[in-house]
Amino acid sequence: MSIKEFVYIWLIICLPVFSYAQEKFTLSGKITDHHSNETLIGVNIIFPELKNGTITNEYGFYSITLNKGAYAFQVSYLGYKSLSGTITIDQNLTRNFELYEASENLAEIVITENVEKLNIRKPQMSVNSLSINTIKQMPVVLGEVDVIKSITLLPGVSNAGEGSSGFNVRGGAVDQNLILLDEATIFNASHLFGFFSVFNPDAIKDLKLYKGGIPAKYGGRVSSVLDIYQKEGNSKEFHMNGGIGLVSSRLLAEGPIKKEKGSFLFGGRSSYAHLFFPLFDLDSKAYFYDLNTKLSWQINSKNNIYLSGYFGRDVFKISDSFENTYGNAVINFRWNHLFSDKLFSNLSLIYSDYYYGLGLKFVEFEWNSGIKNFNLKYDLKHYISANFKLDYGFNSLYLTFNPGEIMPTTPTSGINPYNLTKKYAFENAVYIDAEHQLGPNLSVSYGARFSTFHRLGQTELNTYDNDQAVRYNEVLGIYEKAPIIGVSNYDRSDIIATFKNLEPRMAVAYQLNDNSSIKTSYNRMSQYLHLLSNTSSPTPLDVWAPSGKYIKPQLLDQLAVGYFNTLSNNQYSLEIEMFYKAIKNRIDYIDGANLIANDAIEQVILNGKAKAYGLEILLRKNEGQLQGWIAYTLSNSEQQTPGRSSVETGINNGEWYKTPYDKTHDISITSSYRLNKKWTFSSNFIFQTGQPTTFPNGQYEYNGMSIPNYEPRNSSRLSNYHRLDLSATLTPRADSVKKWKGEWVFGIYNVYGRKNASSIAFRQNSDTGINEANRLALFGIIPSFSYNFRF
Amino acid sequence: MRKLFFVIAIVVISTSCEDVIEVDLNTMQPKLVIEASLNWFKGTRGNEQFIKLSLTAPYFDNNIQPAVNASVRIKDQNNITYVFLEDEVKGLYINRNFVPKIDQTYKLLITYDDETYEGKEILKPVVDIDYVSQNMSGGILDEQTEIKAYYTDPEDEINFYFFEFVNKRSLAPSLEVYEDKFTNGNQIFGYYSTENLIAADEVVIRNYGISEQFYNYMFILLQQSSEVNGGPFETQPASVKGNCVNITNPDNYPLGYFRLSEVSEIIYTVQ
Repeated sequence: MSIKEFVYIWLIICLPVFSYAQEKFTLSGKITDHHSNETLIGVNIIFPELKNGTITNEYGFYSITLNKGAYAFQVSYLGYKSLSGTITIDQNLTRNFELYEASENLAEIVITENVEKLNIRKPQMSVNSLSINTIKQMPVVLGEVDVIKSITLLPGVSNAGEGSSGFNVRGGAVDQNLILLDEATIFNASHLFGFFSVFNPDAIKDLKLYKGGIPAKYGGRVSSVLDIYQKEGNSKEFHMNGGIGLVSSRLLAEGPIKKEKGSFLFGGRSSYAHLFFPLFDLDSKAYFYDLNTKLSWQINSKNNIYLSGYFGRDVFKISDSFENTYGNAVINFRWNHLFSDKLFSNLSLIYSDYYYGLGLKFVEFEWNSGIKNFNLKYDLKHYISANFKLDYGFNSLYLTFNPGEIMPTTPTSGINPYNLTKKYAFENAVYIDAEHQLGPNLSVSYGARFSTFHRLGQTELNTYDNDQAVRYNEVLGIYEKAPIIGVSNYDRSDIIATFKNLEPRMAVAYQLNDNSSIKTSYNRMSQYLHLLSNTSSPTPLDVWAPSGKYIKPQLLDQLAVGYFNTLSNNQYSLEIEMFYKAIKNRIDYIDGANLIANDAIEQVILNGKAKAYGLEILLRKNEGQLQGWIAYTLSNSEQQTPGRSSVETGINNGEWYKTPYDKTHDISITSSYRLNKKWTFSSNFIFQTGQPTTFPNGQYEYNGMSIPNYEPRNSSRLSNYHRLDLSATLTPRADSVKKWKGEWVFGIYNVYGRKNASSIAFRQNSDTGINEANRLALFGIIPSFSYNFRF
Repeated sequence: MRKLFFVIAIVVISTSCEDVIEVDLNTMQPKLVIEASLNWFKGTRGNEQFIKLSLTAPYFDNNIQPAVNASVRIKDQNNITYVFLEDEVKGLYINRNFVPKIDQTYKLLITYDDETYEGKEILKPVVDIDYVSQNMSGGILDEQTEIKAYYTDPEDEINFYFFEFVNKRSLAPSLEVYEDKFTNGNQIFGYYSTENLIAADEVVIRNYGISEQFYNYMFILLQQSSEVNGGPFETQPASVKGNCVNITNPDNYPLGYFRLSEVSEIIYTVQ
């Protein structure tokens, strides 16, 4: 289908919406927190008698167009007191609402609806949102509140275990997640090789994880979208908050630049465990820090601007001989403009980069690599009628890849300077997405994203016989690097490869009754960037590579169906979803592929495919003293890398094999119990099938060494993973009218001391010469405490 | 307070632990392992050569069985055949009249258990070890004895090196492979650092000339069997195939490698 045809068909579908008109007026405005003037995302504005409503967008804006009349309305948001009243709509109206935090006026035990409620009417499915308050209540290792670790408690989300970076969504790889912080792409979301994530919880307002039915607004990754928004900062009064923990401490300041007009937010976080290293006579350093900043300014009622930034680094130093620095930097300018009370727009200009540097003094060289990107985004949200909304816009990304530079550090170093060829690419997309209420029980959303990817000119592009960079050695039955027969050099303005993809998106919700609905969704997505990593958990050193002559973009098709139910007057909610997804062009690496400082990565890559399917069940208790959820996922995730011709074997003889992130069973039970105003107790229990891995199936002697012989890829599994964590939060003077408010958080991670293997290494004991299996368990029982404050 | 922090820091650092566990492993059918490493030490005739044949064993077994009663031959470019006869040591096959020639292609032919195995390789030259340096602040923690064996890479060719450091205090030799991609034409070193050497210990340092194919083979082998297994530089573990094939039954491929190298050797006395 060409673009023209698509637009045409699309217009036919939409046309009936525009064709009938009565006397209608638009109600629009902003919803904010009364105390901080912080805009609130996802607030429900409901008109019960119309069975209709709307929610605020990422910038706190809402708009709804209704027939002339007087209506009762309700404004509700998790953790806040609901507002209700009547409103007469006889002209276009702007109403801004301020909500009060629910805890503020209740005299006795506070019972807030603290868990995100389910919206059964909207066609959007496979989405989980978590408020930062929910995240902060979860017990965590060493008391460090962690956004990424908390989302792994949701159904369909897992990670490669403790101390591993990233997360896997519905059997997808870590590099298939789009992580956005204030609309800017974050390329590596972990600190300390994955022990902690890069997001300072104090600076974050809201997050949403899309696992399926992904709106056309998002693209560029095939598994999921994690959309994180930072706070704007309190524009009414100055506040500080922070926390002192065992690993790191945080401090955040926010306040008005001009009251209710402009605000600032500065937050910083740093670890300090290394300060104690000298006590143990360790001449080493290992620390991380990050800085979050945001400036917001309301020019007038129609225009807002935001400037936000993030800068984070990890530093490791072992005496003078080894130094490692890496991290993200993001700067981002946004302009919200209201064209009318029905048309909201946001323009974003974003720069983000990821830097990795390594210095090895004992072998006398330095290494650095990274990825930079400039991003221009323009998103519009058009509230055409109460039953019809449109999202449309475009996104342009310019990407620069530095796969690595090697520099000698001493004049006598035997290492020659060497630059791996830099690569450039230009990724563009336009999208349109409609949300359409077709009747009292049926709502649909449909749209498409058209994406293009241009690989721009570079120097030294290798050429191969028949364009095959990997050669199959028929005699030995192994894959080898094909000889390079020449190199081509291009200007930066040349285009050396182009890809175009139309990505349709579709979702339908049918409401069975007031409490339940069924939904289904389909999404196609394309991914033009690949993270080169042949370990199950990515490392900071892994480099991103663009699609091009030898690497094709990954293409995903995902279908999901679900049943959604709210029980006992919204006290409980139940979500059951099934998904199936297939990915084309998932690369895997030939045996023994070396990815480090490899300038011809195409020589070690084979093209394959992946599939995953599963069942997810989420039962939540949303209200009362005891709140929490039980999440269960049953799934399968496999990939296949067949030979390119009948003589080739492919990987694992061309058969399907488990991906490293296949977890058959995944159970999480998260709960919090509010005993009284002083004490809250929380717990997590996690059980996961052990992750697939490759074990030896024999041994032999060669050149005086004992060599393990390995079985086909991912044929075995680590033992099952499970653990229980507990925490207690003490608010000593909850009733105090003093400005200073503090709380203590005590926690125990892995209460029963389960030794969960993060890896098993097979090797010869260097003293006895006997072969052994060595289990590495990262965390035993870890008690922790931290103190949080605000004033 | 300081004491408290001290305790906490200990808890944090000592929490990760490594222990030896029992794992049920799958077991493969035994395969033939070919260790045909023909080394021509500089300044010798290189006439005495041996080839070791053994079998694979279950991973946790303590015994490796030799492959006995095999017929082992090497053929050179001029069709001269060298027959290797089984020694008193089981699985060891010896020829005392071998004639090594640089850059010659040799063919290995083995018949074992009614199956025929073949391999082909070129005898690769190597440059001399220029000198050896030593200091006591080696390794990442600056606490190890560090030995660097310098050699000069020829600028106009692509070279690969295989280094072996042997001392009586270590059970297994320390092995390294190097390519000249980042060091072409430079004087560069083979690197060895260890904790357990003392003055007057002898370290045998050998530098072997090798082919690119052997470099790739050994690179993977070392990755999979080294102590750093599981680190960020790990490759996907796999059954590593060398340059020998089973002609009779290709699926029952042999392990090991047929290598021919010129070798420069220095015996270094630790200062």
